[in-house]
Amino acid sequence: MIIKKTTLYLALTLILIIVAGFFLLSKGSPAQNVTGNAGSGSVQKVVIGMKNLNYYPNTIKVNANQPVRISLDSSVTGCLRSFTIRDFGIAKYLKTPDDYVEFTPTKKGTFRFACSMGMGTGTLVVE
Amino acid sequence: MSLKKFAKELGNDRIEGELLKTIFISLFASFAILAFLYFFKLRYIENFIPKYGIFLFLSILSYALIIPSVKHVRAYREFACMSGMMIGMTIGTIAGFLSGFYIGATNGIFIGGVFGMSLGIFLGIWNGKCCGIMGVMEGIMAGFMGGLMGAMTSVMMLNDNLRIMAFIVFGLSGIILSGLNYMIYKETREMEVQGNDDAFFTIFWSLLLTAITTGIMVFGPRSALFS
Repeated sequence: MIIKKTTLYLALTLILIIVAGFFLLSKGSPAQNVTGNAGSGSVQKVVIGMKNLNYYPNTIKVNANQPVRISLDSSVTGCLRSFTIRDFGIAKYLKTPDDYVEFTPTKKGTFRFACSMGMGTGTLVVE
Repeated sequence: MSLKKFAKELGNDRIEGELLKTIFISLFASFAILAFLYFFKLRYIENFIPKYGIFLFLSILSYALIIPSVKHVRAYREFACMSGMMIGMTIGTIAGFLSGFYIGATNGIFIGGVFGMSLGIFLGIWNGKCCGIMGVMEGIMAGFMGGLMGAMTSVMMLNDNLRIMAFIVFGLSGIILSGLNYMIYKETREMEVQGNDDAFFTIFWSLLLTAITTGIMVFGPRSALFS
């Protein structure tokens, strides 16, 4: 049986891609969602760091109708320092770990926080 | 229909008949050098496959599509202005965008942009010169734009299905490069082949590009986001 040249190279190419793909596309440990709670007190203080190219923890639980103060530690770099929570009108460049945003969540629910470019994201849970 | 004729040509002895063979040789050479590097060095790097595997895999597939197109252009050497500009622009953009995208995803916008622009501009000039200065200019602009755009896109998508987007970008680029090969075939049906690079050309460029890409991804400088 004569195999056509085109078929032969197509088959060989596909085999090569499948074998290499099987090896190279094995999954690593995916980034996990980590939940953090705000500290108790009159102002709920939250310090967010950076891990796996995203905010860490990336899920934060706070109480409604109680002021929240969020700062970013020194591990947070690049555009992730430009911190936004659209639903609460928060948008501020937190240049140093001493800078913070402060607001009082008046509505309960789940809200997204992100950097200004939307590259780093997380969830703010107001209970 | 000429598309059917083109498909038939892929199995013939003209230069088009070597496209599939060139893809296979390029893939084989690239995966061989990667396996060699992995065995002696890369396997000792923590999380090498989860961190770099997908981007190296797609880089190698991309080079296996770009190199045959370069070989196809070099076989005819000279083109009319319109075709030459399209060749310079397509190869410059795709080479710049894809390499910038993959390196950007592992090293950041700066190094991804620089590498993408360098490769895009180099290949854009090399292939665009088939029609003179207009093709060269088109190649420079396309490589410059593609390299930067690729790196920016991947970094901006780090937390938003970057891996799926990498496959989509690669798929679209494959379609565009196939279109370029078809265009070259249509434009050159009446022309004589001016030269045919042998397998060494494919092997050399595949090895070089894969080695450089791997080296930059694993050992190259990174932006603060990736440090």
